[in-house]
Order: sequence, then structure tokens, then C-alpha cells
Amino acid sequence: MKLFKDEPYGTTKLFFLSSAVWFVIGTLAGFIDATHLAAPELLGDIPWIVFGRIRPMHTNLVIFGFVGSALLGTAHYLVPTLVHTPLYSERLGKASLWIWNVAVIAGTATLSMAYSQGREYAEWIWPVDMAVLTALAMMFYNLLQTVVRRKEKILYVSTWYVFGGLVFTFFIYFFGNAVWNPGTGAITGMPDAILAWFYGHGVVGLFLTPLAVASAYYIIPIVSRSPLYSHTLSLVGFWTILMIYTHIGTHHLLQTPAPTWLKVIAISGSLGMLIPVATVLVNLWLTMRGRLGYLHADIGGKFIFAGLVWYLLTCIQGPLQSLPVVQRVTHLNNWVIAHAHLGVLGFSGTIALGSMYFILPRITGHSLYSRRLADVQYWLVLIGMAGFFTVLTAAGLIQGNGWLNGEVVYRLLPQIHVYMLLRVSIGILIVGAACIGLYNIVMTLRGERSVTETP
Amino acid sequence: MKMTPTLIIIGGAAIFAVVLLIVVILPWTTISEEPSEIFRPRTEIEQRGRVLYVKNGCTYCHTQFVRNIDWGLGAERIARSGDYIEDQPHLLGTERTGPDLSQEGGEHPDDWHLAHFVNPRYVRPESIMPSWGFLGIDNIRALIAYKQSLGFTMADYRVARQKHWKQKSIEAYEAGPDDNVKWLHERVPEPWRQLPNPYPTTAAGLQRGQRIYQGFCIGCHGPIGDGMGPAQPYLYPPPLNFTVLRDRGVSGGIFYYQIMNGITGTAMPYFKRELESEKIWDVGNYVAVTFIGQSDAGRPPRGIPAAYETQPEVRE
Ligand code: HEC
Ligand code: HEC
Ligand code: HEM
Repeated sequence: MKLFKDEPYGTTKLFFLSSAVWFVIGTLAGFIDATHLAAPELLGDIPWIVFGRIRPMHTNLVIFGFVGSALLGTAHYLVPTLVHTPLYSERLGKASLWIWNVAVIAGTATLSMAYSQGREYAEWIWPVDMAVLTALAMMFYNLLQTVVRRKEKILYVSTWYVFGGLVFTFFIYFFGNAVWNPGTGAITGMPDAILAWFYGHGVVGLFLTPLAVASAYYIIPIVSRSPLYSHTLSLVGFWTILMIYTHIGTHHLLQTPAPTWLKVIAISGSLGMLIPVATVLVNLWLTMRGRLGYLHADIGGKFIFAGLVWYLLTCIQGPLQSLPVVQRVTHLNNWVIAHAHLGVLGFSGTIALGSMYFILPRITGHSLYSRRLADVQYWLVLIGMAGFFTVLTAAGLIQGNGWLNGEVVYRLLPQIHVYMLLRVSIGILIVGAACIGLYNIVMTLRGERSVTETP
Repeated sequence: MKMTPTLIIIGGAAIFAVVLLIVVILPWTTISEEPSEIFRPRTEIEQRGRVLYVKNGCTYCHTQFVRNIDWGLGAERIARSGDYIEDQPHLLGTERTGPDLSQEGGEHPDDWHLAHFVNPRYVRPESIMPSWGFLGIDNIRALIAYKQSLGFTMADYRVARQKHWKQKSIEAYEAGPDDNVKWLHERVPEPWRQLPNPYPTTAAGLQRGQRIYQGFCIGCHGPIGDGMGPAQPYLYPPPLNFTVLRDRGVSGGIFYYQIMNGITGTAMPYFKRELESEKIWDVGNYVAVTFIGQSDAGRPPRGIPAAYETQPEVRE
């Protein structure tokens, strides 16, 4: 593997390696977050890891570093493979990768030094925003040039999602970070809250989701050895996600003084999200029906399948919790944190891991270093995710119902303490999973083979 | 439908443009820029504190809007969009790991905030808020100024009241224990002063009182009730040394009133939202029995005994 030079699928390899590294660092940051909430005095007063700073370090690291890198790497494999044309320029690809990584490093470092713009997932300061946008533009250009030179005329649905995702991510990032206001990265007053959540929701809905769905659309038919069930469903799913997902950011602001008409749009759109989600899942479900054996024989397929189950759960929970009656209990507490992990780690993170394990053998030309380690990681993520979800949801319900009952925040802190302890313990599983993944991916890229496993 | 790169990119960009227009530009241009009835601009130091709040991520634990369902928080006033016309970035927040701060101004005097920022557990023993001492005293002053401005003119009114009573309480404290206790008790309405604690002392009641004391009071009044808790160096007047109340005519009613209502101007917070009635009687009696050695619990005049009270012989 070379850092800058031309080499087939070199960009993808480096993206995967970066993702594995960021998975470890990002979850470690999350682990420190969780520790603060369970034992605020434990780590002493270290300014650069104080809760208010390490929390955005964690969220941005896992979104852009871990899941983002893996899915962008996957896109750089999917598109060339699907159009039977090599990537337009591996050098350009690697340049965009390095700019992306510099952005993640610089964003994390500056946050630890308290350079933050304070809006969720848009905390990175202006120079970092510029790096992200440059990298996205370069990737878009590179993949576009690949597709323009394509040998296969018909574009498969995964390619649509990659391009749809990149176009939307670029614009949403550009507007959402208010890059024309370098000082604050924001506009003023209630409109800023609306813009910030247009962006915040867009990051998960139009960056992570389309890229993860693209990967699932590619891998599921291959591992289940069955053609995609329906072209029409794919079309419906693709266009409706672009139209609906974009509208619904204000469901984060239902209890604030945002305009009522906008809340109505957000709530109806959130319910409408059932259309794109259902079409994608039904399509993939019917593709793999009766073929779960094949799916689970492949380690990549196994991860992707788990990711899709989490997707289903996330997107049942999502519309439900966008209803005002439900938010009376669930808003502003750990319930939302449970949902966030379900979406980012359960759905897109698990698919990101599955994509890496599926693609790595195909681009390195040899099998994974260890299938068993990948299996261990699968179970750690699965158990960890289920545990997180249970514990955080329970804590959230205690908080939400307590507040409705007129309890003050302080009185409920001892009530949720045990859940915060459990959450730290479960966090160990996830950090462990990340470390195992990094080891496995590094060894695979070096071309090693675990001696204990016979091929 | 034949999917080509042009269709996907142009179609995607067109959808994006339309959506941006509807859900961002439209509200942006139509939301009223009118200040709300309580709005006032922030001063320079308040603005500096706000920047520190943004940079240090206070917003991940604190919201800045009161909802109409927050009745338990004493929702005196629900947030309006005119409250935010100068906020860039917005700081509405998405989590209440800590309490809502949109009406924080004047809830506590500055010295309470100082102790709280240096280490929140000094004043709130079970808090999970980080300590911010590392920011340095200058920055903490700015943060405090910002906190005291939250709620705009409503906050100004409360802050002025804190200042007024701060002055008086310092004068009383400096006049010595006799005058201080006299001053403190004269502020309590007469009927409360006359009122003994209606519930007799029991072992279970004392245990409850101890639990409350450790969770709410120990950081200021200290483990032995001498007012030397870890917050003491930051507070002026310092937390009351309960032993000075000995033989100075304190009653169960005075305890109840002071704990329920707090002593505005001093760091002594009100607990009427945190503690239910029985807990206030219990912690008051715990202080009386343990630190002062004098309690009027269960002394006449009493009303009809509460239904749950056990026989005195069985109680011990
Ligand atoms: C880990 C989450 C967390 C962070 C980060 C945090 N707080 Fe807190 N905060 C809390 C909790 C929990 C409480 C309630 C217990 C207490 O009073 O300490 C609280 C209480 C407060 C209070 C007292 C409210 C009252 O009247 O009782 C103020 C003021 C405050 N925080 C300001 C800040 C500021 C300013 C920052 C940033 C510099 C900040 N907080 C960061 C969790 C947090
Ligand atoms: C933030 C620090 C702080 C906390 C927490 C605190 N107090 Fe106080 N308390 C004070 C201060 C300061 C005074 C007034 C001292 C003065 O004016 O001389 C005071 C006064 C009192 C008084 C008035 C006594 C009288 O005779 O009027 C009582 C009673 C009291 N505290 C009980 C409690 C109890 C019970 C708790 C816990 C539920 C508690 N305090 C928590 C700081 C605190
Ligand atoms: C059908 C689709 C979905 C709907 C309708 C939906 C709805 C919502 C709602 C209403 C909230 C706000 C909850 C609150 O604050 O009370 C929320 C938060 C969140 N969602 Fe989703 N969701 C969906 C899918 C997803 C997916 C797929 C992901 C991840 C890839 C995701 C990630 C998040 C995150 C990270 C938050 C937390 C935001 C915060 O910090 O407050 N969601 N979602």
C-alpha cells in the first residue's frame, strides 16, 4: 500500500485504514464522554478532554472519521466496479483522502483547544469546513469523470445513491455551516436553529444514509446470489429520500418557538420517511428472501444484514419520536442519544464495517487476516449496540417521565447514575470492537494471514 | 426512467434548491425580527461569556428554551422567537443533562456561581457538571455575567434583588452571630417562627434527613454543620455555622421556611422545587438534632397526628 502513488483501489484501501483508525479514536472519545457522565471527578480537570469539548470531538470523529471514511472508500470501489471503468485518478483520490483526514485531525485538535462553532455536527471551524468541502468536491469530480468515461452504460442504483449523496452532502455542508460567515459559521436567531437542524439532519440523512444504502444495494444481491428484486422500487426509494429527508430537520425543534407551519412540514415529512425506508428495505428483503444462509456465510453480508435490521428499527423509531405527543417524554434526554447510536453505529456504522470486510479481499487479492476476529467484532458491536439502546432508552424514559411529573434535573441525576455506569461498561465492548477491527484491517492490508485459521 | 449522471445531479440539485427555499430561506425571511417584550442587548462582558459558553460546549448539557410542558420548572414564561434575535449561533440545545438556563439570571448570586464553576460538587454534591476552574477567574467572571443576563430584563429584575439582599446579608453577617441570627429570623414571617416541627423525631426520619443533607447541603454547611464545606472559601456571607443557632430561638418553622424559600442575596438556594414537604421537615430536624442538639420536633401545639405516625414506644 502506498500513501500517494497510483495503485489500483489505493484510495479505497487508505480510506478503510483511516476509518479503522478513526473508529478507535472516535469511540475512545465517546468512552471518555461516558466516563464524565458516570464519574465526573475521575479524570480530573483536563481542559482538552472536558465534556463540552470531547463530546463534539466524539460525534464528528465517528460521523466523518469512522463511518464517513469507510463509506467514501466504499463509494470509490463501487462506482468504478459498477461501470467497469477504473477510477479516473487514484492520485486525485488519494489527495482528496488526505485532505479529508487532515480535516478530521484539524477539526478534532481545534475542538480540544476550544475552537468550536457550537452547532451540532457543524462545530468544526471555517478552515476545516473549507478542507471538507474541497475534499468532497474533489471526490465528486473524480467519480464523475469515472462515470463519464464508463464502459457500462446503465447506472446501477448504488451509483445513483453515491452521486445523490455527494451532491446533497456538499450543498448541505456548504449552507449548513454558513461558510459565508467565517467568524461564527452561523446566521442569527431562530432561523439559525432551523438552518442548523436542516444541516444536522442532513448529515445523517443525506450523507451517511445514501452512502450506506448504496453499499447495501451493491453487496446484498452479490452475497445472496440473486438479482435485485425491483427497479421501480429503487427509483421510488431514491427520489423520495431526496425529496422527503431534506424537509424534516425542524422535527428537532418541535418544542421551540419555530414557525408552526414548518413544524407541520417536519412532522408530516418524518412520517413520509416511511416511504423511502420501506421501499429500500422491501426491495432488499425480497432480494435476499430465503437466502439468509448465503448472506451469513459471508462476513461482509452478515454485517450488512445486521445494519439493515438496525435501519428498520431506527426508521420505525424516528417517525414515532417526531410526533409531538411522544416528544413530550422523549425530547431532550438520553432517549435521543439511544436513537442517535442506533442510526449512526447500528445502521450506518455496521454497514460501513460490512462494506470494508466485503471489499477488502476483493481489492487486496487475498482473504481477510482473520474471519474469526471479524466475527468477534460483529458480536461485540451487536451486543454493545443492543445494550446501549436498552440502557440509554431506559435512562431517557426516567428523565422524560420525571420531568413531566415536575421533577427537577438535579433530583434525577442519582436515578440515572446506574445507567450511566452500565453505559460506560458497554462502551468497553465497542472500543474493544474498534481495536479488533483496526488490527484485523491493518494485518489484512499488510497481506498477512492468521496462522490459527486454515483457509 | 433512465438514470443518467446528468439526471441524478441536475435532479438532485433542483430538489435541493426547492427544499432549501421552502424550509430555510422562507422561514429565514419571514420570521419576525421583532425583539420580545423582555429582550435587551447584551453587554460586552456578557457577550464574552456567551462566546466561552459556545466554545466550551455548555450547550450539550443545557437548553435555552422553556417549553409549555415545563410546568414543574416554574414555567413562568414560555420562550418566544423574539428572545433570540441577537443569537449567533443559536444555543437552544438538545439535551437537558443539566437544567434549562434560559431564565438563569438572578436565580443565584454571583458567589454561588463562582463556587459552582470552580467545582459544581461544592454546592451541588451529586452534580455531574464538569469543573471549569481551569478557565481562569477572568473567564469565569465573564461566564457569570452571561449567566446573570439570561432572561434579559426579567433577569435584571432578579439580579437587582440579589444585589439588594446581598448588601443586607453582609451587613448582618459582619455585625456578629447574635445580630446575624436575629436578622435572619426577623426576615421569616411571624407565624412560621412560632411553628414547631409537627412531626416527632424518629430514627427513620433522621436517616432520611441525613440522606438529603448529604445530597444537597454538605458542600456548603459541611459534614459537621460548621459551615466549612468545600464551597465556603468562595461564598460571602459564608454558609451558616449551625452551631451558632444554639439557644438563639430557632424553630422547626424557621428551618422549614428558610430551606423552602432560600435566603436571597446569600448563596443559600431555595429548595421548594427539589424537596417535597416531608423531606424539608426531615432535613431541618436532622440539622436541629445532629448539629445543634436542640429540636422542637413533635412539641405542642400539634394538630391531629398524621395517620402514619407509630406509637412512641414502638418507634424507638
Ligand atoms: C456534563 C454536562 C454539563 C456541562 C458540559 C455543563 N453543565 Fe452546567 N450543569 C450540569 C448539571 C448536571 C447541572 C445541575 C447540577 C448542578 O447545579 O451542578 C448543571 C447546572 C448548571 C448551572 C446551575 C443552574 C441552577 O440554577 O441550578 C449553571 C449556571 C450551569 N450549569 C452553567 C454551565 C455552563 C456555563 C457550562 C459551560 C461552561 C456548563 N454548565 C456546562 C451539567 C453540565
Ligand atoms: C450554596 C451553599 C449552600 C447550600 C447548598 C445550602 N446552604 Fe444553607 N445557607 C447558606 C448560606 C450562605 C446561608 C446564610 C448565611 C448567612 O446569611 O449568614 C445559609 C443559611 C441556612 C439556614 C438559615 C438558618 C436560620 O436560622 O435562618 C438554614 C436552615 C440552612 N442554611 C439550611 C440548609 C439546608 C438544610 C441545606 C440543604 C438542603 C442548605 N442549607 C444548603 C449556604 C448554603
Ligand atoms: C425515518 C428516518 C428518521 C426519522 C424520522 C428520524 C427522526 C429523528 C428525530 C425526530 C430526532 C430528534 C429527536 C429529539 O430530539 O427529540 C432524531 C434525532 C437523531 N437522529 Fe434520527 N430519524 C431517522 C433516521 C435516522 C438515521 C438513519 C440516523 C443515522 C444515520 C439518525 C440519526 C439521528 C441522530 C444522530 C439524532 C440526534 C440529534 C441530536 O443530537 O439531537 N436518524 N431523529
